[in-house]
Amino acid sequence: MTKVKICGLMEEAHVKAADQADAIGFVFAPSKRQVSIERASELAKYAPVDIEKIGVFVNASLEEIEKAVEKVPLTMVQLHGDEPDSLVEAIDVPVIQAFSIRSKEDVSRLKKSVADYVLVDAPGTAHRGGSGNVFDWTLLEGSGIDPSRLIVAGGLTAENVRSAIGQTKPFMVDVSSGVETDGKKDSVKIQKFIQQAKGDLMEQAIEKVGFFGKYGGQFVPETLMKAVKELEDAYTEAKQDPEFSKEYHHYLKEYVGREQPLTFAKRLTEAWGGPKIYLKREDLNHTGAHKINNAIGQALLAMRMGKRKIVAETGAGQHGVATATVCALFDLECVIFMGEEDIKRQQLNVFRMKLLGARVESVTKGSSTLKDAVNEALRYWVTNVEDTHYLIGSALGPHPFPTMVRDFQSVIGEETKRQILEHEGRLPDVVLACIGGGSNAIGMFYPFLQDEAVKLIGVEAAGEGADSERHAATMTKGTEGVLHGAFMKLLQDDAGQVQEAHSISAGLDYPGVGPEHAYLADIGRVEYKAITDEEALKAVITFSRLEGIIPALESAHAIAEAEKQAKEMASDELLVICVSGRGDKDMATYADRLGELA
Amino acid sequence: MNRLADLKKSGRKAFVAYIMAGDGGLERLSEQVKFLQDAGVTAIEIGIPFSDPVADGAIIEAAGNRALKEGITLQKVLDELASWTFEVKVPLIIMTYLNPVVKFGIERFAKECKRAGVSGTIIPDLPYEHRDLVQGAVRQEGIALIQLVTLTTTEQRMEAILQEAEGFVYAVTVTGITGARDHLAEEVRDFMKRVRSKSSVPVYAGFGISKVQHVDMLRDDVDGFIVGSAIVQAFHDNKIEELTPLIDAVTAPSSV
Ligand SMILES: Cc1ncc(COP(=O)(O)O)c(C=O)c1O
Repeated sequence: MTKVKICGLMEEAHVKAADQADAIGFVFAPSKRQVSIERASELAKYAPVDIEKIGVFVNASLEEIEKAVEKVPLTMVQLHGDEPDSLVEAIDVPVIQAFSIRSKEDVSRLKKSVADYVLVDAPGTAHRGGSGNVFDWTLLEGSGIDPSRLIVAGGLTAENVRSAIGQTKPFMVDVSSGVETDGKKDSVKIQKFIQQAKGDLMEQAIEKVGFFGKYGGQFVPETLMKAVKELEDAYTEAKQDPEFSKEYHHYLKEYVGREQPLTFAKRLTEAWGGPKIYLKREDLNHTGAHKINNAIGQALLAMRMGKRKIVAETGAGQHGVATATVCALFDLECVIFMGEEDIKRQQLNVFRMKLLGARVESVTKGSSTLKDAVNEALRYWVTNVEDTHYLIGSALGPHPFPTMVRDFQSVIGEETKRQILEHEGRLPDVVLACIGGGSNAIGMFYPFLQDEAVKLIGVEAAGEGADSERHAATMTKGTEGVLHGAFMKLLQDDAGQVQEAHSISAGLDYPGVGPEHAYLADIGRVEYKAITDEEALKAVITFSRLEGIIPALESAHAIAEAEKQAKEMASDELLVICVSGRGDKDMATYADRLGELA
Repeated sequence: MNRLADLKKSGRKAFVAYIMAGDGGLERLSEQVKFLQDAGVTAIEIGIPFSDPVADGAIIEAAGNRALKEGITLQKVLDELASWTFEVKVPLIIMTYLNPVVKFGIERFAKECKRAGVSGTIIPDLPYEHRDLVQGAVRQEGIALIQLVTLTTTEQRMEAILQEAEGFVYAVTVTGITGARDHLAEEVRDFMKRVRSKSSVPVYAGFGISKVQHVDMLRDDVDGFIVGSAIVQAFHDNKIEELTPLIDAVTAPSSV
């Protein structure tokens, strides 16, 4: 298996974060990552004993190199200058000689190296020793270089390391800037990179594109593979096109009504007696929930791909309404699959979709809820794949959907981050969002992932109790499995049959949570809590009466958990709740369940 | 599975029957297999029910739900196969979605398949890209991982898939899900020709095959046919003998 080197370490925390790597590198040559021999020796104490410690030099003397080898101590030496073969041969420990590769000629030069290993990198800029530019791996094709001597560097990231390994099958991959944020090493990125590069059994087996750790993938029938790949290509291309981003933001502003306020909840803050509470107001979006952020983005992408027919599933009907809305706006044909049970509890949204010109297909299979609607939407897509785009409504499904939906929803977290800095001059202590498939939560959390001091909490539905038979608490109770195109967390029985979920909230009534959340749970970056139907209903009353905002049932789960968190927090702390939607669609349920109040 | 290659050499067409294990009770499975092998089928796909069979149409989904109600699991089916004492004369192939296999344990799945006398497996939601998840384990036990190609499979991809194909190639005749259909599109014939010209293993057409007329249309361009929904429905309706003419139409030697 290809080994992993994390290079340019300067701090203990990052050395520790790299403890699963095979090698770490200290840069002794002039560079923004330069360390002294003393510092490297100090840092090396935090590394596992069996990890290779590699010193990076540019045209240093044998004396200097030997001193570092002895003092740190180093187990390998990496040379980035014009060192003569005699020097290379004089060094006692194994030597890596680095080459900047621009052309095939450079490739033939490195074949002549007398070093034990050769490292290939993209050409540097100011200083020698690697630039972070992406190296054109195809230059190595057919070069005849022995892969067991080859170390690949240059522009590697957690996202591309898998394909670099796939293309070059090197002895080791070497990363530095690819695991940094704003020029500093980033522990989360280091770990993600190692995990992507090495992987466990599940991961080794699979081409890594579209995975979060071991979760994700493209587990769909062969008929859909072409469409999924086309979508992947189209999205990758669109993502890099500033025009696409401009268009998307144009509609968010002019049509959806963004940006949405981050409202200070004064009465809630007083009532809970803890931290300052802020509300991210996705309820104010056109159509009443966050779902439209994603629907706009995907519809624009579908049109870019020349597809003018849309199929979607919906649970609460919010995604269905959002999809029907953008289809009306852009004159696209629209079919929405919705479970019969959900049709009953979300009558208003069904009518809205029809009024908007969508065809609503009732699904009577299984539990007649969201999972079954996704099954039918997928079947419809398989059958109509050549001209139809599947506009999935949550951070679920085969790659690229979970990534794409996250990106389109990240506007939530990006705005929130900017706004809290404006209001408070600092980041929040806790951020909460409800979890159905996980789209509003991942959109809220993603921009905060690197800010380790910000505690992120996803709130799923415990239905009648996470220990009862009737709940949707996948992160709390679920196990790993494959559903709807992705390896993720599921509610399933011992035989691998997916179980029915239960929640009073149609939007949370799904027995899976998207792959990125499964990964974030595993690495401990996000905590997941579960709130019961009763707790959510209580939160609806509190929230309505204290803030004059009637929340969606889904969002009420986040609010209920926020109250619990607030009780444990101090008054100088900050807590943000993502109010993913407003309660209009739930009025019948509220009238029914909270009738005695009226 | 070598038998399939031999059959191809002899010029005879293969008939692969799909049944849903446990539809009508697990005790029916042995009768069904006996009936089919006596009727002259070439191989039998044993379907494992799954809660979310997105590649399947209404007939197979309903059969799966009936089987699930009977409490059928992958383990029970494999135990049942392993317990048979009568002579199984045709290759058995397990057709299952990926999740029950993942839950069961992939290596354990391979070993238990071997113990149960299974020769191959088809996993419709395990695309070529992710085949390594299962292929190593099943190969070790001598079990073929059957690959699918479809009308939407791009040229390049098809070549890659065919290069690794073992047992036979499952060539899907429709852009869609399983289920009986009246007509097959004309383009299907060209597709089959293309697949066959590139494949070193036999090419079998499946999805929607339910009529002698489908067989007549494609017989010169394929090495065999896979019939699922029609058989599942016939067993469910206790009218399996009505399918004998279809089996005969495929397997009759005269039609070479
Ligand atoms: C208002 C609202 N919030 C949250 C959700 C849950 O979805 P997700 O987890 O994808 O944000 C839904 C789904 O329908 C919703 O309508």
